[in-house]
Amino acid sequence: MSYSTSKSPIERIIDYYVRNVPHATQRRLSTWVFRFLVGATVIVIGFPTYVMLKSSIQPELELFSNTFLFVPRNPTLENFAGLFTETAFARFYLNSIIAALGTMVISVVSATLAGYSLTRFTFPGKKRLAQSVLFSYMFPPLLLALPMFMIWRDLNLLNSYPGIILAHSAHALPFDIWLMWKFFQTVPISYEESAWIYGASRLRAMRDVAIPMALPGIIAVSIFSFAISWSDFTFANLLLTQESMKTLPIGMLGFIEQQAVNWGLIMSASVMMALPAFLLVYFLQSYLLRGFSVGGLG
Amino acid sequence: MGEATPTSGVEASVEEPSIRDRIGDLLENETVLGYGSLSPVMLLFLFIAVFPIVWALAGSFFAINAFNPVWEWTGLSNYEHLFFEDGFYWTAVVKSVIFGFGSVAVQVILGIIFALILQRSFRGNALARAVVLLPYLVPVIVVGLVFQWMMNPNYGVINLLGIRFGIINEAINFLGNQDIAMYALIVAASWKWSIFVVMMSLARLEAIPSGYYDAARVNGANAWQRFRDITLPNLKGMIVLVVLLRGIWMFNKFDIIWIMTRGGPSQATTTLPVYAYRVAFNQWQLGESLAIASTLFLTLVVGAAIYFGKFNPEQEVRVE
Repeated sequence: MSYSTSKSPIERIIDYYVRNVPHATQRRLSTWVFRFLVGATVIVIGFPTYVMLKSSIQPELELFSNTFLFVPRNPTLENFAGLFTETAFARFYLNSIIAALGTMVISVVSATLAGYSLTRFTFPGKKRLAQSVLFSYMFPPLLLALPMFMIWRDLNLLNSYPGIILAHSAHALPFDIWLMWKFFQTVPISYEESAWIYGASRLRAMRDVAIPMALPGIIAVSIFSFAISWSDFTFANLLLTQESMKTLPIGMLGFIEQQAVNWGLIMSASVMMALPAFLLVYFLQSYLLRGFSVGGLG
Repeated sequence: MGEATPTSGVEASVEEPSIRDRIGDLLENETVLGYGSLSPVMLLFLFIAVFPIVWALAGSFFAINAFNPVWEWTGLSNYEHLFFEDGFYWTAVVKSVIFGFGSVAVQVILGIIFALILQRSFRGNALARAVVLLPYLVPVIVVGLVFQWMMNPNYGVINLLGIRFGIINEAINFLGNQDIAMYALIVAASWKWSIFVVMMSLARLEAIPSGYYDAARVNGANAWQRFRDITLPNLKGMIVLVVLLRGIWMFNKFDIIWIMTRGGPSQATTTLPVYAYRVAFNQWQLGESLAIASTLFLTLVVGAAIYFGKFNPEQEVRVE
């Protein structure tokens, strides 16, 4: 490939305008264009988040006025206080936490076991099994939730923690298994083999050698499973109808159905729901991206 | 397996293995180990994923009323009714296609642009990335509610700023207007799911060896040429994959639509999944609802066929 001859039209235009400036200025120019682009991206994507944060600390009077204030004039925490005094928010939060932790535990244990087995053993039908796992990764929630509603009703699993945890696991597991499978593939088996030589049993080598090395994958799987359960609306909407069993997403929809829509309450509840997501993304983004690069089906 | 039969002289001469040895052999057998260790996960999987799908496919051939426990076999009549008599089914198909295609197109284009911008490392990189990656993990209900608030005809920021800067003359009821609601949904959905494309692209971009770029630079390639000849070809497979996966998911999307519009105003945003939900829980025709779900399943099968044909996803990476 030869690059010396042709230049792109954009390049030519830029070259034309900056032809008489010194190299240092050119560099500075490109740095500023880059900064501008990053800034624009962050503003475009961050704007809804900013509106949510801002609205959550504004009193009702300010929210329902006809001017948009970029900075709240009378910031207040009354919306957050209202969540706990006026609504069943705490109950919904607890239900969501239980569902998410349950989903996380089931997914991590199952996916680790399955991932280990799929990489360490050869047996007939393995390829088909991997394909079927990947195939179910494509199931959208509603496709599973509609039949689940009928099955769970017959099995008395509607409005129960096991019912919702199983449903969320069904949504999380395919990707989790896939991810752990890919992760164990990056852990060389020779480390386990040397453990066996020193007399460790298969189980012991798995526990003490393979799993610690696959820990980043396990963390990624935990994040994904937690996030899937925490975010789920479709399953919860169908499978949890009792007020006391509702998770945050459907509990929140209840707020908006009430006669007077209190947007301050809704935005502060949204902040509380987005908070775990922000913590995960900020502190664990390298695991997230690594999870995607290994198991991201690229 | 079984007992060594004395008919064969060779086996008879071999010492009978003890039970302990046999169990030991069994535990060393990879097929036994493989199936054994996978069986709990597979049982769980059968129950929570395979069984519901089979149930849906089977149920689509019955008339199932929510208040009547008896399933009445009706053969293909659920499908016949949907395809030929219902009148709304095909409208819902078209709406699903518009929503699916529209939002996937926006997501892929924006996602790749954002990823290219964020790929280079800079000061504040982690914070910028966190802000950008956040929407993907933010629950869909939050996305729906925040956009509903932003699009509110009376107090929403879009209308207030639009009027203040003279972009619009009067407030628009984005979600209450039949002609606009679908586009409003596509905007909200794209905000969240573009980030999926950003994450896939970032992962892919980071996997491109920097040596490629150095070599190109030494040969005098400019930024655009490096992008065209190195970056883009490396992203191609990922783009096809993302279009396929996101296409299936957006075509089957239920939550964001139900949260923001309930399929309204007057069915303007009733896509197939929303329609399936309505047939089940407004008309209580569960069998027919399962028939709609089964036709949604068909899109998955087609997608999967393309997927397994085009990619080789189950291939193992061996690291020794």
